[in-house]
Amino acid sequence: MEYETTRNEQETMKGKGENHRVKKLILFLLVLMGLFAFPVIKPPLFFLTLFFSVFMYIGLTESWNLLGGYTGYISLGHIAFFSTGAYTTAVFMNRLGVSPFATAILGGLFASVLAAFVGYPVLRLKGAYFTISSMLLSVVMQLIFMNWEFVGSSTGLWYKLLPVRIEVNRVIFYEVMLSLATVITLLVRWVERSKFGAGLIAIREDEDVAKTMGINTPWLKMRAFILGAFLAGVVGGVYGYYMSYVHPEVTFNINTSLLIMLMAFFGGCRTWTGPLLGAAVLSLANQLIVTFIGAEISRILYGLLLVIVIIFMPDGVIQYVRGMFTRQRIGAQL
Amino acid sequence: MLEGIGVSRRFGGLKALTNFDFLVEKGQIVGLIGPNGSGKTTLFNVITGFYPADSGKVLYRGKEITRRKPYEIAKLGIARTFQIVRPLLGLSVLDNVTTAVLYGRENIGSMAKGRGRALEVLKFVRLDAKKDVPAQSLVAAERKRLELARALAIKPEFLLLDETFSGLNDTEIADAVRLIFKIRDELGITIFLIEHVMKAVMGTCEKIFVLQYGVKLAEGKPEEVSKNPAVIEAYLGKKKHA
Amino acid sequence: MSLSYIIESIISGLLLGGIYALLSVGFGLTWGTMKVLNISHAVFAVLGAFLAYWFFVKAGIDPILSLPFLVVLLFLAGAVVYRLVIRSVTKAKDVIMASMVATFGVAIVIENVMSFFWRPDPRILKPPYTASSIFVGEMAISKGPLIGFCMAILAIALLYWFLHHTYTGKGVQATWQNPMGAALVGINPEHVSLITFGLSIASAGAAGVAMALIYAFYPSLQSVWTMFVFMVTIVGGVGSVIGTALAGLLIGFIIGVCAAFLPFVWVNVLLFALLLIILLFRPQGLFGS
Repeated sequence: MEYETTRNEQETMKGKGENHRVKKLILFLLVLMGLFAFPVIKPPLFFLTLFFSVFMYIGLTESWNLLGGYTGYISLGHIAFFSTGAYTTAVFMNRLGVSPFATAILGGLFASVLAAFVGYPVLRLKGAYFTISSMLLSVVMQLIFMNWEFVGSSTGLWYKLLPVRIEVNRVIFYEVMLSLATVITLLVRWVERSKFGAGLIAIREDEDVAKTMGINTPWLKMRAFILGAFLAGVVGGVYGYYMSYVHPEVTFNINTSLLIMLMAFFGGCRTWTGPLLGAAVLSLANQLIVTFIGAEISRILYGLLLVIVIIFMPDGVIQYVRGMFTRQRIGAQL
Repeated sequence: MLEGIGVSRRFGGLKALTNFDFLVEKGQIVGLIGPNGSGKTTLFNVITGFYPADSGKVLYRGKEITRRKPYEIAKLGIARTFQIVRPLLGLSVLDNVTTAVLYGRENIGSMAKGRGRALEVLKFVRLDAKKDVPAQSLVAAERKRLELARALAIKPEFLLLDETFSGLNDTEIADAVRLIFKIRDELGITIFLIEHVMKAVMGTCEKIFVLQYGVKLAEGKPEEVSKNPAVIEAYLGKKKHA
Repeated sequence: MSLSYIIESIISGLLLGGIYALLSVGFGLTWGTMKVLNISHAVFAVLGAFLAYWFFVKAGIDPILSLPFLVVLLFLAGAVVYRLVIRSVTKAKDVIMASMVATFGVAIVIENVMSFFWRPDPRILKPPYTASSIFVGEMAISKGPLIGFCMAILAIALLYWFLHHTYTGKGVQATWQNPMGAALVGINPEHVSLITFGLSIASAGAAGVAMALIYAFYPSLQSVWTMFVFMVTIVGGVGSVIGTALAGLLIGFIIGVCAAFLPFVWVNVLLFALLLIILLFRPQGLFGS
């Protein structure tokens, strides 16, 4: 079945494609600029807090998706890396009074090191065993931190807020987390379209076949794992400052693991837009429900949503609603 | 080019391969036949590093590859297809092949260049018209061509084909035979193939190995092997004397 | 540190191990027969603990007496979850992953329902007899764990008897070993799955009651118990009731030995490391096939 398009048609199609892409880019930039400029209109603090949470979840979910959606290794241990970052900044601030934000990067580095150690054995496990081990990582780390003097064990760690007014404080963190979310999303998008991403996707589709194509699967998985961990660690580092308090039951909370996974599945875990949409929609809803109704109710709803999504919409709700088959495209033009 | 010396592999109590010696020389098309369960695919899995050999060794161009990992063996130049084809279903035909091109021996970094090369490979197996079609919607014969394209995409020098001809009709078999020769002649690739379809084996192979219960039963030119009474017995059973 | 202290610790560990064994048997059952990885298994144990607690505190019914009733209640709960969630999930392409994620959702729902209605404060089930201990020489064995252990052994024995000596139980085993063959001889797989899952949850509930006699419990403890379920199941292999029981005792023994010398937290780390090693080198477990 050969198809032929005339030279002319091909040119117009290419032209249309370009036009389309430019339009999307402009739209994206406008939205981004709007978000950055938002604090200028002096909105109520509640909104800044709300959006901070949204940006944070976007960062977490996108970074999770490198290993989760692209490679097909569902990790319930992402919060361990997030917490490593949070605790890094907490300890540095608490014990050494070191200036903020630089230590967030350090938090990311510590998280990477943890990922490297843990990933070496754990990434050799397949599917369910990997997920179970990743969950064990979170649970065990929580237990350790609950009993470790140095990080404040079960009382947690308090430390000083930035020496500025609360309004300015909130704005600073809003902008920082927004930048972080943007950088992470763009990074993940870049990976998806790159050779690295193509390799990860091949691993997800059929790991044995990927090996026969010359893909060094352990190394690629490790890279995805470490990169995801680093990004989660940095996000955690910023979060740690924002909250000015860390406690194992908060940072290692299993419900966060559920939420991250749910956001990715809900939005569609095969491309970079899925976690973005999923995180935006669901974290917004989550924050609102938690604030106005209660944390447990929100979690119950999310648990139910996860069950529904898995049973009825394996490709993600957004895709289900569009009613279209998500065909993965490596180096996709979005 | 590819040589096995005393290759053995067992799974628990089952001896899948026992002391199998084989040699495939550069530029040859060699066949591996035998009744079902005789260990043929196991041999391929051992060669490509998916299973370790319990004893014996496999040499490629004189160097031992017995303990190497599958991706290392691919990078050395040995490609394979699977008995039941395994396309990357979530991707398009082009993307399937492009990924192989990127990670294959050419180790290309640029996506655009990779796609270009992939298109050439698809043209070679005559699947280029379907390049943007999702792999899932290909029919069986096309999937086999895709499997082949993916193997060729890593720019191998040695190709292991596992039952490529199964399920094809006569015309398709003739096309596939032509393609095999094309691969050998135009691309200079040595081929070692597992087959049940005798027509294809006779039409392509200059040497055949016969396996039964993991043991080498016979070896030689197709005409000789097909007349070998032990081989006939293996396939058809003992002749009953009235 | 005296020898009797160490032995005391080991015995405590073994008693705990027996209860972990009961907790894990049902999990292995569903994994083995239906390929369902039920992450919500342990949350039903917590639920069982809570129910026994309420029966005791509000109605004065001793947990030993309420246990049979609770087992039935939880069996029904299991049947409901099976119908609503598990059945659909067994039709997925990758049952293991789909069931794991879906039951994760179920676990969170039930944990938070308990948290919402009953608050997350720790509770402990303390009928009067748990206050005393029996003495063997110099060693004291607390009655709470002892009774819990007896409950666990009894339940495991019952389960074993059911699987090997009743018609339905043999049907479960048949489906486990050869689903298609079992179906061909007229065993209804749906029926078997429902009963298997119900039994699994019921046994979890029973284990929860036993645990409650020893330790304080609260809704979010379910994730820690889940960790132990994984451990015992993976060490023992998904193959058999006996294997899981032995694995539970083994882990209990290790906990007992370690607890005599190390702070409790590091015991968990050690177990985690042990689990990882087993997963890497012998994923079928120490006793499994």
